[in-house]
Amino acid sequence: MIILSAKNLTKSFGKKIALSNVNVEIPRGRIIGLLGPNGSGKSTFLKLATGLLVPTEGEITIDGAIPGVETKAKTSYLAERTYLNGWMRAEDIIAFFEDFYEDFNRIKAENMLKELNINPSDRLKTMSKGTKEKVQLILIMSRSAELYLLDEPIGGVDPAARDYILNTIITNYKENASVIISTHLIADIEQVLDDIVFISKGEITMTSTVDEIREKYNKSVDGLFREVFKC
Amino acid sequence: MKWYIDSDRPIYKQLVEQIELRIISGVYSPGDKLSSVRDLAMDAGVNPNTMQKALAELERMDLVFAQRTSGRYITEDKKVIDEVKKALAFREIEQFFEKMKLLGFGKEEILTLIKKVEEGENSNDNTKR
Amino acid sequence: MLGKLFKHEVKATGRTFLPMYGALLILTIFTKMALTIGAPDFFTDDIATGPVAEVILGITFTLYVIVITALCVMTFVVIIQRFYKNLFTDEGYLMFSLPVKTWELILSKLLVGLMWSVVCCLMLVISIFILSFGSFSMMEVVQDINMAYTDFNTQFGMSLNIILFELFLCMLVSAISSILLIYASISIGQLFNQHRVLASFGAYIVITIVLQIIVSIILVAVPLLANLDILFSGIDGIKAAQWFINGTTLINLALCVMFYFCTQYIMEKHLNLE
Repeated sequence: MIILSAKNLTKSFGKKIALSNVNVEIPRGRIIGLLGPNGSGKSTFLKLATGLLVPTEGEITIDGAIPGVETKAKTSYLAERTYLNGWMRAEDIIAFFEDFYEDFNRIKAENMLKELNINPSDRLKTMSKGTKEKVQLILIMSRSAELYLLDEPIGGVDPAARDYILNTIITNYKENASVIISTHLIADIEQVLDDIVFISKGEITMTSTVDEIREKYNKSVDGLFREVFKC
Repeated sequence: MKWYIDSDRPIYKQLVEQIELRIISGVYSPGDKLSSVRDLAMDAGVNPNTMQKALAELERMDLVFAQRTSGRYITEDKKVIDEVKKALAFREIEQFFEKMKLLGFGKEEILTLIKKVEEGENSNDNTKR
Repeated sequence: MLGKLFKHEVKATGRTFLPMYGALLILTIFTKMALTIGAPDFFTDDIATGPVAEVILGITFTLYVIVITALCVMTFVVIIQRFYKNLFTDEGYLMFSLPVKTWELILSKLLVGLMWSVVCCLMLVISIFILSFGSFSMMEVVQDINMAYTDFNTQFGMSLNIILFELFLCMLVSAISSILLIYASISIGQLFNQHRVLASFGAYIVITIVLQIIVSIILVAVPLLANLDILFSGIDGIKAAQWFINGTTLINLALCVMFYFCTQYIMEKHLNLE
């Protein structure tokens, strides 16, 4: 069962090619690390999957459909930047998500806010960057989507919150759902991943399972990554 | 007991070893019910599929058995546990010898050294005490 | 989903407008009180009762004008800002990952923008009505209006309502087209990799100039090419006015369609959030 499929997927911005001829199939029930250095096309790939960008050539499909209203209802996308309105309270944005996403679980979101000691009536503009990122991730993970697309989910948070977030990711997704996590902080997330996709200069250079890499190269994915992308 | 995943070897193998250790050392008693895959995975901070793979491996080794409806249990067969215990002991000793050989010790020398340490004659140990 | 977008759009903009309308109402009542006490005959002879009253009146009037100006400017600014900021900056990441159609996004913004423009006009009318209340008799006003209707009917042989309706339609459509022109300009600005706000301004100015030129050409060319005497012979003044009003409506309608599809096309095919 394939949840995401890309065929000859190419995206260019003017003359700059961000993704070139990417072919990949992501099955359901997996946690996939999309790993690559900065500017390798990770974000572009996730934006294409979400429907924030349109391919220049080739196609990307979610559960067989080209990104649109139907696919947006079942993909939960965490942008790399905080996109929440400063004037909103955490509870306002929960109401917003509840209105637009049928699979949103308010109770789950409120519990997670409580566990991370975030007051739902605090305005977002009074929160630190790390807290805002947490709120955003809570919103995203409180949906029972079929595909989670997380762009750098652990970039700005402290180690304790990072562990909580990783646990949230492991426990919150359904068995038929997949999670794609883009990051360059591999060591932190390696043990929650099933598969990895190495991406470099807009091209996929390797796809494998984490344990295959460890077996074959006698190295962690992080170690291999450092070797492959050595500057 | 804390889960510990080190960097280089396959994660599921490390999970297998650590559950083995828990069974041998009695953290899990024979006949105990194991938590769900999801809970174990969360506890260890690993992917549920990886934990699933580790448990499947343990089932293959007969250390764990699955009951279709109620979950997974630790084997009640002491013999199996003893065998795994022995195998683990051999593995540890082999690794130890390997390392000592790298340090340039012969078999006899190693054995006498072990005796000395056992009797408390190691110089380092003396200064510490 | 359009309803939900509309609801949240009203919520997001209401918190700017409601306090301003509140301020306008309070100021209106205050000014009215100052007028009644300080210059009871203001609407007939424009004279304050004393130097103190004159100063107070001066201040309240200045404030009043400032609030009204601010209200008009804010309406305009919020229309631009809600479209640009909510869709094309960081907030766009949220809006474009919602399971809604692009036209719903555009329409929800347009309708709410239009709604606030209408509310703004209404508030001004209400405010002026309150201010001048008591200086005229309602009976006379109603009589005057009735007179105007009968006069119009006897003179042109048609109801004034038709012309008023056509005028209203013309204003509505031109309001929509000016909002859509802003949307299209902002969208065009997004096609650039840098200086997108500047590019949007540029697009707005260029489109406006091009439209001006086209209108001027039409205004010059039509009388030259067609014999207006023939065209309008047998057509009285009111018919000509109707031609002009409805023509403007039609042209604006065409522009609306053009601006709308331009906006939608860019948002669907060339979205590239920073």
